[in-house]
Amino acid sequence: MARMKFLCDAERCIECNACVTACKNEHEVPWGINRRRVVTIKDGEPGERSISMACMHCTDAPCAAVCPVDCFYTTADGVVLHSKDLCIGCGYCFYACPFGAPQYPQTSNFGSRGKMDKCTFCAGGPEDDITPVEYQKYGSNRLAEGKLPLCAEMCSTKALLAGDGDIIAAIYKERVVKRGYGTGAWGWSVAYKDSSAA
Amino acid sequence: MASEKSGKDAVGTGRRGFLRVLGTTAAGAAVAVPLVAAGPAEAKESEADRVKARYKETDHVKTYYRTNRY
Repeated sequence: MARMKFLCDAERCIECNACVTACKNEHEVPWGINRRRVVTIKDGEPGERSISMACMHCTDAPCAAVCPVDCFYTTADGVVLHSKDLCIGCGYCFYACPFGAPQYPQTSNFGSRGKMDKCTFCAGGPEDDITPVEYQKYGSNRLAEGKLPLCAEMCSTKALLAGDGDIIAAIYKERVVKRGYGTGAWGWSVAYKDSSAA
Repeated sequence: MASEKSGKDAVGTGRRGFLRVLGTTAAGAAVAVPLVAAGPAEAKESEADRVKARYKETDHVKTYYRTNRY
């Protein structure tokens, strides 16, 4: 059985934020919520790297472990989904998640957050597949349409990989074997020459 | 005098009764509206359908894998 995974190739990510925009557009995500975002470390310094982050669909998901109403479930292909009908917006999953994936649409003086929203790996939710109700609550269900998450499919540098974990791991391995690590990355010597020799 | 007073009371009570009826009707309508607006029950997947594998290795997906090898 295929296990769905995301993998961001930090050597290729150019921080264009197209994955973020595509996700918001595809699922008509409410204001204030980003299911996916690009994180940059060492911004403007040597060794700068960007990585596109969303729900990583953990094998032993901490969000599911802390949920008091047990609204999370994992599908047979390893996608962590949740039911917005059961969610009470307590925020425990937000604190438990190491990636900051769970987001809430509201903020108020009385702490009402609304129903939690997060990346669904473009796999919808507990409503029937490819129905308006499912779309309204969880966004489009591309997996049921025989496609993969749009963020990965439209990544211009093909930095963001999504799909069967075994296959995308093999793809990443091929890239690393070919280009090497860090400044040994493919194209580096062409673009920047050998800085140590200069 | 007494009959006049009782007549005034009757008018006052009648007015209050009208307001009471109005209030009850409004409250009833408020309760009924969400029930009507909810409409038919939403379709839900069964327990087995919820956790079924959604991924399919279609030609579309194979093309994605192929182009990512470049």
